[in-house]
Amino acid sequence: MTTLSLDQRRGRQRLLRDLTARDPRHMIARGLLIGDTVAGISFALGLAGGVAAIATGGRVWTWLLLALAAGIARGSLATLSQRIGSDLAADAKIALRTRVTAAAINQSVGGARTSGELACTIVDEVEAVDGHIARFAPIRTAATLSPLIVLAAVALASPVSALILIGTLAPLIAALILAGGAAAERSRQQFGALARLSGLFSDRLRALPLLLAYRATDRERVRLGQAADEVAVRTMGVLRVAFLSAGALEFFAALSVALVAVYAGFNVLGLLPFTPPEQLDLFRAFLVLALAPEFYLPFRRLASAYHDKQAAETAADRLLALEADAEPVRPLEVHSAPALAFDQVSLRHGSADADAVSALSFHVEPGETVALLGASGSGKSSLLGALVGTVPVREGTIRIDGRALESGLAVAGSAAWAGQAPLLVPGTIADNIALACPCSPREAVADAAEAAGLAELLRCRAQGLDSLLDGRGSGLSGGERRRIGLARALLSEAPLLLLDEPTAHLDAEAEAGLTTAILHACRGRTAIIATHSETLAAQADRIIRLERRYEAA
Amino acid sequence: MKLRELILHESARHRASGRRAALLGGVVGLASVLLLGLSGWFLAAAALAGAAGSAVALGFNYMLPSAAIRLLAIARTGARYGEAVFSHDAGLRIGARLRPALFAATAAAPVRQALAVARGSMLRVVMDDVARIETALVRRSAQWNAAGAAVSGVAMVALAGVPAAAVLVALLAATILANEALARRTRRSEARRDEALAELRLAADELLAAAPELRCYRHADAGQFLERPGRALALAGREAARARALAVMIQAGCMTLAAIAVLALSRGGPAPTAALATLAAAMATDGLAPLLRQIAERFSTRDSANRLDQLLAHEQQDMLPVVIGRPTLDLLGVHLKPGDRLQLEGQSGVGKTTLIEHLIGLRSPVAGRAKVAGVDVVFLRSEQLRSTFAWQPQDAAALSGTVRDNLLIARAGACDRALWQALHDAALDELVRALPHGLDSWIGEDGARLSGGERRRLAVARALVADAPWLLLDEPIEGLDPATAQLLLERLERRLCRTGQGLVVVSHRPLSCITRCRSVVVPQRCAAIEITHQPQPAACSLQPK
Repeated sequence: MTTLSLDQRRGRQRLLRDLTARDPRHMIARGLLIGDTVAGISFALGLAGGVAAIATGGRVWTWLLLALAAGIARGSLATLSQRIGSDLAADAKIALRTRVTAAAINQSVGGARTSGELACTIVDEVEAVDGHIARFAPIRTAATLSPLIVLAAVALASPVSALILIGTLAPLIAALILAGGAAAERSRQQFGALARLSGLFSDRLRALPLLLAYRATDRERVRLGQAADEVAVRTMGVLRVAFLSAGALEFFAALSVALVAVYAGFNVLGLLPFTPPEQLDLFRAFLVLALAPEFYLPFRRLASAYHDKQAAETAADRLLALEADAEPVRPLEVHSAPALAFDQVSLRHGSADADAVSALSFHVEPGETVALLGASGSGKSSLLGALVGTVPVREGTIRIDGRALESGLAVAGSAAWAGQAPLLVPGTIADNIALACPCSPREAVADAAEAAGLAELLRCRAQGLDSLLDGRGSGLSGGERRRIGLARALLSEAPLLLLDEPTAHLDAEAEAGLTTAILHACRGRTAIIATHSETLAAQADRIIRLERRYEAA
Repeated sequence: MKLRELILHESARHRASGRRAALLGGVVGLASVLLLGLSGWFLAAAALAGAAGSAVALGFNYMLPSAAIRLLAIARTGARYGEAVFSHDAGLRIGARLRPALFAATAAAPVRQALAVARGSMLRVVMDDVARIETALVRRSAQWNAAGAAVSGVAMVALAGVPAAAVLVALLAATILANEALARRTRRSEARRDEALAELRLAADELLAAAPELRCYRHADAGQFLERPGRALALAGREAARARALAVMIQAGCMTLAAIAVLALSRGGPAPTAALATLAAAMATDGLAPLLRQIAERFSTRDSANRLDQLLAHEQQDMLPVVIGRPTLDLLGVHLKPGDRLQLEGQSGVGKTTLIEHLIGLRSPVAGRAKVAGVDVVFLRSEQLRSTFAWQPQDAAALSGTVRDNLLIARAGACDRALWQALHDAALDELVRALPHGLDSWIGEDGARLSGGERRRLAVARALVADAPWLLLDEPIEGLDPATAQLLLERLERRLCRTGQGLVVVSHRPLSCITRCRSVVVPQRCAAIEITHQPQPAACSLQPK
């Protein structure tokens, strides 16, 4: 795995930090974990007092009550911290998803990522930051403060024991600094190796049609098996080393308990080979013994949450890459039906070798309805995409009312769009129509629905415009969905209307019905209809036939 | 083979590692409890001896306990390291067999189901399930860890009296039972979370499909449309998170109660025993942690296992020898002799690609559309169809691997000359020659390092490597620049003349160089037929019995 640049590392740290920076709960979650340490100290105090009281015949119950109260406090604090952490993570994920979705919508079509990958990023990569926010980040803060608090408590009881703890911590830190870089690198490699195996498996499943068609599934199974074994063996090699750093932690944690126990034992016996600066009694000796595991507890919690950190960092890298690739567009404001001029325009998708449209010129008058007619692959949709900024212009100029549509500019915002699959969101039919401009008055929505030919649908539904739709738009026919999209376009007062295959996959009758509504929507605007339907195109003011691009020379 | 059988079978093969992990796990639990208990006893005893005067102190046997404490510290560290290594060794090796088995079973499933895994959102679910099982496999020694802690804890507490030991046993049992109950209660919310996740994935897919529309209307805050399913997911996830938090509470509570109860019950006895018993009781409840985590994940692991079992239920059939020779082909009423060429035309969406996928056995066959050697494809096994055709898919799918990997799918063991010839005929030889490692150059995930046109030519080259009597090319020159398209067609024509292979090609573009090429317009009803037949699970009839 390549080593990350400093900028990359900073970038992802900033991303993860900013997710919760403004939310006071992240401080509360951290504070509660530190409170958990204080309660842990009180618990040790209670036990030590109880044991000492048994030895001296003192009052045991007071100490037991202290231990009980501390134990209950401890559980409550840790539980509360976890709950707050997970609530915090839930909110942060929603905010992050909103942010990432905007970046995903701003990717150019045919770019580096398929829409499946984008969906995966929006859903799964965002989910992957959960553990970092809910667990790792609070634990990391606690891991820097809690050991110091424990150390202070130990020092009050027995300064020498505190020195012993520091003495075991120092080599641990040295070991982590010396081996830690290597161990972290190893652990990253292991994460990478598992991800690769997982990737190989999903890749072979994705390619299943191909492998089935060539009867190659048996061979691939064998190869997959070999690869899986190989990764398992290699991963073990990595893990043997990675576990060493966990082993170092374990070793020093165990050693600190043993050393403190032996020192305190010999101290109370008075058999130390040197004169100790302090004389311990059973209470203090037992207290430092009970506190020794507490000293290493935050480090062990941190180690167990390390996986969360790695998963979140991997996800953060991908999210940042997605945001870096987003190409947000500035809107070119248009107020009345514009004139469009395409001058020698060539369009090309991200990874394509050839132009989707090459050297195309045409002109659209203000208020004119133009049908772009051509077979699929002739670049109709790409032309619409160029206007809203999803497809980059490679050469030539598009002018809107004489203003050039430069790179980074688009008419999105001044245009209405109606395609084959309008977006349907959970809510009423009215909500869905008003998606274009949510503050439209009710009458305007009703008018738009009427004009789009939704009257019949609304009559059939008891609640009319207030009928609920689920996100799938269940129960709507293909024609009805498109009418909702059209109503949306009608409602929006955008002076430019773009229609992408508005009648595709409809039978002749449905197409005829929809055509009337489409023409109504085009009135008073400049409209471009991309279609391969001669029937629909015939209704436009003018037809521009896109030649098949590749008349092989 | 069921998942359970697979795991049992593989566990048997890696029994040694599994046993060592279990043994060392037990030692870890044992040593943790002993270390602290013994330390407590040593301290208290030493304090009493010290208080009794230097004569008693000198008579106190300090060597043995202090040596034992140091030994236990080292034993615990070593055992924990060993446990981690052996449990991962066993778990990873068993897990490594899981993926190939799942792949084989998916490939053997009825084609509709197999492709649902390959193409749909199910892939993600399968990947998550495998990861979950793998995690469970490497954590199998957790129960021994807890057992070691519990047994040694109870034994040490018994020194302080039977009542104390009985209380500890009761509290350990209560902790486990409470966590079991919690896991059962959380199971439904975990399932709800999975549903919410699937719902969110669907919503994200639809939102992205509507990107241009969103750009027009309000693209800046498109994310708000995912807020509702996102909140539903958060809500479902919150229940599970609260249960996890509650589990922390239960464990902390039981640890507190165990320590206090044991201390209270041993207050009549000697202080060293009380110290030993109290610390042992605390550590024994603490030692349950790995087991409790296993319990918390038990149901989600089981649900994953059940889902994978459904996939694993499909067993591979023995392939019968396939002998069809060079058959004739009848397609939409056009009769083709071996070596004939046919171009399928028609508007997009009428079902040209669907028709091609019927021929290659990637869809349930529909009667009356195609015959191979005079026999309707409905009566042929997919094996026979697949050996008759070499297919270039419309999406030009590629394996992540090298150029060679991608070509050898078509014919294992094809020689380099054949590969280069195929690359030449697909107009891709110059590019591959220029790559740093030639045929062995890595082309990235799904051919990501190649451009769209290069991937397409690679897919054509793959079809050429296969020795099938008929080529099925689905948009072979889409996205190629005119000169390259021309070159590819010229070379394809020459190759067809040389090999005498037949050609069925879908193309929106005229195939200028392909001679003797008839064409047929795919009628609109093709798509309609497909839709009406889709819900019937007829795919099974293709499987050899």
